[in-house]
Amino acid sequence: MKNDTIKLLLIFISALFGSFPALANVSGGDWKPQIVEKMFVLPPQHLNKVLNNDFKTSVLALNLRDTDNKIKSKIDKINELNSFLPNASKDETLEIKHQIILNKRDYIKDMNNLIIMKKQKLETKKAFFEKIKNNIKYNNKNKTNQSAFLNNKSKALERAQRLDFKIIEKTSLNINEKSKYFKQYETNKNAIEKLKIAINNHPMNEKSVLSNNSDNKLDTIANYIYNIETEIAVLEMKEQMMSYMAKIVVLDAMNLAENVSGIKQNLDGTFTSGENYNDPENVIDMFTKL
Amino acid sequence: MYKSIAKITLLISFVASSYANASPIGPLERERAKILNLILDKTISIAERKKKLEKSKMKLLDLERMTINNKQINKNPDTHTIRAFEDFDLTFLVHNSFERNKPLSITWFEKMGLTTDNIMSTRVSRR
Repeated sequence: MKNDTIKLLLIFISALFGSFPALANVSGGDWKPQIVEKMFVLPPQHLNKVLNNDFKTSVLALNLRDTDNKIKSKIDKINELNSFLPNASKDETLEIKHQIILNKRDYIKDMNNLIIMKKQKLETKKAFFEKIKNNIKYNNKNKTNQSAFLNNKSKALERAQRLDFKIIEKTSLNINEKSKYFKQYETNKNAIEKLKIAINNHPMNEKSVLSNNSDNKLDTIANYIYNIETEIAVLEMKEQMMSYMAKIVVLDAMNLAENVSGIKQNLDGTFTSGENYNDPENVIDMFTKL
Repeated sequence: MYKSIAKITLLISFVASSYANASPIGPLERERAKILNLILDKTISIAERKKKLEKSKMKLLDLERMTINNKQINKNPDTHTIRAFEDFDLTFLVHNSFERNKPLSITWFEKMGLTTDNIMSTRVSRR
């Protein structure tokens, strides 16, 4: 019985050591934001909402939720096993401790997966915002280079718009000469004007004015990236915590193995055997007592 | 054999280059040139010119509006487009004539410096 337990524990310890390097390669699914480029013009707050909604439908989000549930169940199980310990017999204590170590190992494994997935989510989000930031910077640079042309063009547009009403008046008699485009232009122009007025009067318009400004948008996005970076840094610290927790579990397992085998490791590193009944020296009392 | 290959290559490169050089304001420039040709055409009667000009004017107006409202040309405009927008009065002749309340031909002549006063002040001389 004892030999079986020792073998099991030895297998378990080696498995524990072997499993951690492999965890680094675990991938929790994929998330590629399915956001079209037209969405990039949205104010950053809305963009963030759209991005979060997009994440919710991804495989990564599904795996994240599953792992989260697994972790919760592992914690419940460890607590339950701990509550059994005070009333357990010696053999039962050994078995419960073994079970606790196994559950702790699974908890660490799942928690490590969870951290990797959370990091993956944050890295994807960061890459997305970096892309938008670069787009805004590129557009701003282009705008500066073409400012003279764009200035002329906007002046031309203003002049043409001022003349629209005059042109309609002057060409009112040339009904036969008017093209399909001319008629459509008039209709669409009126519709656009109505929409512009509606946008200006919209209560949400004032709120989005600040975020629509490219400089403000750039600041907001840079702030998002900063927040994501801090979250990643926190996760990296948690990763370090997990490695320490894993070490404690390994030490617990080694301790349990020692208790089972009866070999104790001294502080100076030397080993002394505990109760070893295979040595006749240890059973003298049994024979001498009447 | 080699000659025909060379001819085909030349033809393809010519076609490709003509597509690459197509300016977004090309149709506007062509229509404007057509109108200026009509204004300067001495072979047609005044009535005929007026009728033809009225028709072409509306077409040119459409093209001018299309060009002014074209947002695609904001990205990497070519030199022709940049030059065209530098001189609104000459490029967008119909708009300019509506602005000045003058006929299209007079608008163009005046812009080119060919006013009655200018012409009257000239004198014939021999060098």
